[in-house]
Amino acid sequence: MRRRLAGVLASLFLVSTLLTGCGGTTTTGSGQAAGAKTVILARGADSISLDPVMIEDGESAKVVANIFDTLVRYKEGSTEVEPSLATEWSTSADGKEWTFKLRKGVKFHDGTPFNAEAVKFNVERQLPPNPTADMPYADFTLGMVDKVVAVDENTVKFVLKNPYAPFLLNLAMSLSAPMGSPTAIKKFGKDFGSNPVGTGPFVFAGWEKDSKITLTANKDYWDGKPKIDKLVFEVVKENSVRANKLLAGEVDIIDGIDPNDVEKLKADTKLNFSTSPGMNINYMGLRTDRKPFNDPKVREAISMAINREEMVKSLYKGNAALANGPLPSILFGYDKDLQPYPFDQAKAKQLLKEAGYDNNLSFELISYPNPRPYNSVGGDSLATAIQGYLKQVGVTVKITSAAWKEHKENVKNGKAEAYLYGWTGDNGDPDNFLYALLHSSQIGNGRLNDAKYNNPQYDELLMKAQQSSDKNERIKDYTAAQEILVKDAPWVFISSSMDMAAASKSITGFKIHPTGVYFLKSLDKATK
Amino acid sequence: MLRYIIRRIFLLFPVLFGVSLLVFLVLHVFTVDPTSVILGQHATAEKQEALRQELGLNDPLYVQFGHFIGGAVTGDLGRSLFTKEPVTKEITSRFPATIELTVVALLLASIMGISVGIISAVKQYSALDYMSMLGALLGVSMPIFWLGLLFIDIFAVRLGWLPTSNRLSSSVDMVVYTKFFLIDSVIHGFKTGDWGALGDTVRHIIMPAVVLGASSTAVIARMTRSSMLEVIRQDYVRTARAKGLSERAVILKHTLKNAMIPIITVIGLQFGSLLGGAVLTETIFSWPGVGSLTFMAIDHSDFPLVQGTVLLSAAVYVVVNLVVDLLYAFIDPRIHYA
Repeated sequence: MRRRLAGVLASLFLVSTLLTGCGGTTTTGSGQAAGAKTVILARGADSISLDPVMIEDGESAKVVANIFDTLVRYKEGSTEVEPSLATEWSTSADGKEWTFKLRKGVKFHDGTPFNAEAVKFNVERQLPPNPTADMPYADFTLGMVDKVVAVDENTVKFVLKNPYAPFLLNLAMSLSAPMGSPTAIKKFGKDFGSNPVGTGPFVFAGWEKDSKITLTANKDYWDGKPKIDKLVFEVVKENSVRANKLLAGEVDIIDGIDPNDVEKLKADTKLNFSTSPGMNINYMGLRTDRKPFNDPKVREAISMAINREEMVKSLYKGNAALANGPLPSILFGYDKDLQPYPFDQAKAKQLLKEAGYDNNLSFELISYPNPRPYNSVGGDSLATAIQGYLKQVGVTVKITSAAWKEHKENVKNGKAEAYLYGWTGDNGDPDNFLYALLHSSQIGNGRLNDAKYNNPQYDELLMKAQQSSDKNERIKDYTAAQEILVKDAPWVFISSSMDMAAASKSITGFKIHPTGVYFLKSLDKATK
Repeated sequence: MLRYIIRRIFLLFPVLFGVSLLVFLVLHVFTVDPTSVILGQHATAEKQEALRQELGLNDPLYVQFGHFIGGAVTGDLGRSLFTKEPVTKEITSRFPATIELTVVALLLASIMGISVGIISAVKQYSALDYMSMLGALLGVSMPIFWLGLLFIDIFAVRLGWLPTSNRLSSSVDMVVYTKFFLIDSVIHGFKTGDWGALGDTVRHIIMPAVVLGASSTAVIARMTRSSMLEVIRQDYVRTARAKGLSERAVILKHTLKNAMIPIITVIGLQFGSLLGGAVLTETIFSWPGVGSLTFMAIDHSDFPLVQGTVLLSAAVYVVVNLVVDLLYAFIDPRIHYA
């Protein structure tokens, strides 16, 4: 019997190895030179793909931002741009033609030279009729481009359909705008996302799905060789486990910090804790096209009935900034003097009375249970707080909560009069908030103006700002537009969350960029 | 015998077909449109429609199901909606991690379970017996998620004995041959003389394996106990005792050998259910296997990937079942298959 059993077990083992296929050899690391510097960054989820045109999520963008370069890049800590693969640029008088001079002598990691043809290739991949339907950002980032021309080896010209000021900032994004090696893209096709080749400070070395992505320093980087040898993006799903790994010294940097762990991490003397204002907005939207919120008086009353300052303090405990309008403070066009309706419940009651509601207004508020980047406590806690304030002025709020994906559908389909929602900016341009979320052309068809806000005066200011290449003019228009907006109150403006990360004290050169990604070219680690 | 085996193998197909149909229907009737997930913030209705068309999600359900089954028969389970990689590649690259975890978990559970079960049976109605059975009750009813987080908190955070997650520390470099890290690290040790990778691998697998095997340990312990008690009362055991054999020989040779049949059944069945239980365990411990892949696929509404992982789990389950049935015939002379 024993021999028979052994036979069966052995064949079982054989079958299982056959099933799994004994793949070829792969190395999880290269032979390390003595004293090689490795930095490990732990985060909550893995990247989905490393092909810049195939992604829409932050975890993919974080890695892409360090393998690839863009024509222009964000300055440290701001959403202004500076030269990167392009050294200078100019705009034609009508604002439709943008000409970029390219940096000479740059090579992709596979040796392919970077030039105007390469730019053309990367852009045309995403211009009609070429893009596939699963390129989430092609249309957003490059949809305004009519054609792209390689003028000579080092000059490239974009011809736009209309003047479009945010275009320059789009070219700095980590989604869809980064430049990949045409040779590699042609060679790998659909699998370029697992074999990314760019010109960036780090070279892709390996990817164990759901476990870690390894990059090595690009020794020939045009902007100076990185100070570390190896950069690892490790996946640790549980927030608390991730924090503990940092405390235990198993990893060097973590992000996605749970509000419950903030104190513990801040208290540890071996760590640097960094918070920076995020490029996002957390708000309650009101359906301005339906009863009761088609009456501006009711919207005004709702805004006045909620003590936003107190609510943000108690819910987010200092990890989010009170919003004064639709823009986070990090963007140009943010106006620190802007004043939404003040907290005044007596006035709110009076307004409701004038609108014909005497303690008998009730409406449905749809919400979601899970935390979001702009709302660390989840929608339901926020909904309950709002419900409490409104009860004080005689308004009954019925909360309906659904899982995030379903909630999104509910918002799009207008399931209720009010909804909790938020937005994370794409490119650092105010247009990306004010136009994308509140311009009347963005109503319906799955677009993002779910409050159905429609004010011709506001629309006009936004169009003007979108087509103007004079930044000061644009800021003026955006300020005027925001003033209209806080008066109309289609949203209750709540907060912008802080991006938080923690790193060991031996790490220098780590900064969270307002766009939520990390540019780690100057990262360094002190050796013990 | 051979006829029986062939008949059983042919019976696998309708079962797997049924499972596929069920999964397919559940997915397509109850889940959210994956296109909104793929396209993210800027998913307009037109873009979603175009993508649905491209992914074939607009075809009638029976056509989609036909595609899936047609592909599955030829070993093509389509491509993941998210990673764009073939589903078979995604699964096979992670399968070794799950098999390794499951085998280690089952091994630990069998050793622990059988030992506890024997002690319980021999010392029936003693305090020790009651304690073991209470422990077994706890083991069965403990939610994996809670147990996993508890273990991490105690052994990784407070005591710092074991690593929190993954299969290998990022600082360890090891050449991978088989993707079974326990085997790889041994090869690595022989080749380089550096046994650090083996230690690291072992330290990483202990917690997830214990947590995953907790309920199996309990099930095996209870089965061992009741099976042993049944055999102990048999006449031949009394005969063995009467012959003056030592208690040890009576228990281990005569009793355990005959009590093993139902125990082996249970162990075999546990193997199948552990593969299912691996979803939670792998997610908590960031174990890059098929379980955490399933979790991610469901989270993303990645139809092809969910279908692939569930189909695979079902296939493993029924095959293991079959093997267990056949093992019976080898072990138990009283069973004959016609």
